[in-house]
Amino acid sequence: MSEMKLTIEPKELWARLHGDGEPFFILDVRNAEDAARWRIEGPREVPSVNVPYFSFIDDEDGAVAQVPAGLGEAVVICARSHSSELVAEVLRAHGRRALNLAGGMAAWGDLHVPLLVHREPAFELWQLNRFGKGCLSYAVLSGGEAAIVDPSRFADVYESFAREHGVRVVEVLETHVHADHLSGGAALAARTGARYRVLEGAGHEPRLGVEVTPFEDGETELRLGGAGGISIGARAIRTPGHTPGSVSYLVGGRFLLSGDTLFVHGVGRPDLGGHVEEWGRALFSTLRDVVSRFPDEMVVLPAHFSGAREESEGGVVRGALGELRRNAPELRIASAEEFVAAMKAGVKEPPVIYGEIMKANLGLVDPGEKAAEWELGRNECAATAARRLAACG
Amino acid sequence: MNEKTLDVRGLKCPMPIVKAKKELATLTRDERLKVVASDRGSVLDFRGWAKQNPTFQLVEQREEKDEAGREVFVHLLARRS
Repeated sequence: MSEMKLTIEPKELWARLHGDGEPFFILDVRNAEDAARWRIEGPREVPSVNVPYFSFIDDEDGAVAQVPAGLGEAVVICARSHSSELVAEVLRAHGRRALNLAGGMAAWGDLHVPLLVHREPAFELWQLNRFGKGCLSYAVLSGGEAAIVDPSRFADVYESFAREHGVRVVEVLETHVHADHLSGGAALAARTGARYRVLEGAGHEPRLGVEVTPFEDGETELRLGGAGGISIGARAIRTPGHTPGSVSYLVGGRFLLSGDTLFVHGVGRPDLGGHVEEWGRALFSTLRDVVSRFPDEMVVLPAHFSGAREESEGGVVRGALGELRRNAPELRIASAEEFVAAMKAGVKEPPVIYGEIMKANLGLVDPGEKAAEWELGRNECAATAARRLAACG
Repeated sequence: MNEKTLDVRGLKCPMPIVKAKKELATLTRDERLKVVASDRGSVLDFRGWAKQNPTFQLVEQREEKDEAGREVFVHLLARRS
């Protein structure tokens, strides 16, 4: 007889949200405000019920009665999985089926799922999808070498990914200084001996002891795989707007790692630095002078997504530029004035913590043990997502 | 009004509320319970809990520094009048 399963790992939950197995539902036992602010949602529509853990402490029978009985197994979640463990036990004692999400929302936000975007003899392109946060990073593999783009603060994730694929990390690239999550770029470069690249002269070079190999002005070719091996060009292209130093990487002539400049359903917010007029104009120029030259077939691979509706088959977040052109009104605006006005209309206060995160990503402050707390919740970097999605709170 | 203090620093949810419940059982009408927690999550938890509790109420919440200069969250609880 097998032992009864009591917990579910974040990775298993991701798979269940992307499959069509037996029915289950999410029982969120955090307080109502925390539960509303950051939810677990997948492409599969799964009911979500909020009954705070303290209801189970106050009135066990009453709280259990609030948990629906006909929705299948309960996956119980809370912030760090102590309260959800307690509630899952209570439910099982009442004859219900319940699994505790191991590590809670903290672990959910830290899960990185590697998804293959493209494979051909010359190179592989992987998306490391931090699903709970909505953050995306990338690995380009060629000739035994790897370039990692926009790594999260979990440098070990990329190190083990490289080990599993038998490659050496030689380049660590940033598309811009992130404000919503902590970068692991400097740490990963230091640990692997890779070059750490940011764009020169944009005032965004990390300081305080971080060694950086800057890109020169203009468009630069990167090579992976060495002179004798198979190699793939990765081109850095200035795309200011979301930040003045934003850069996109074109891989294999067709895959655009667009950072927060282009998303699958829209463009990045130019207001996070408090200069919506100036940065908005820069973004407009980027769209008009740079993005407009790219073909419809170009594959947009952004640094963020706002929900499972931006996923393609297999969970990869990707979109054809042609489709983005058809669907995103921001890309059809004809004048800079009109564009800036549209961006201004979407402005909302960025979370206060964004300033601190940006300083940390510049190497100016050390978040220390506050890192996890600073990163709670989903990112708010998309101009369109901020307007259209209630879930992007 | 007398004030009792419950130190739950270092404890994470659900323990601050579990321990507070135990203390509250013996709280008289002219006493208040001061819960000192280090977990930021306790702020919304005590607020949510008190909102639905028929017997006790949250009188005040504030952020303070403890004697070691660390950030703490203070929750003052009393019986409902």
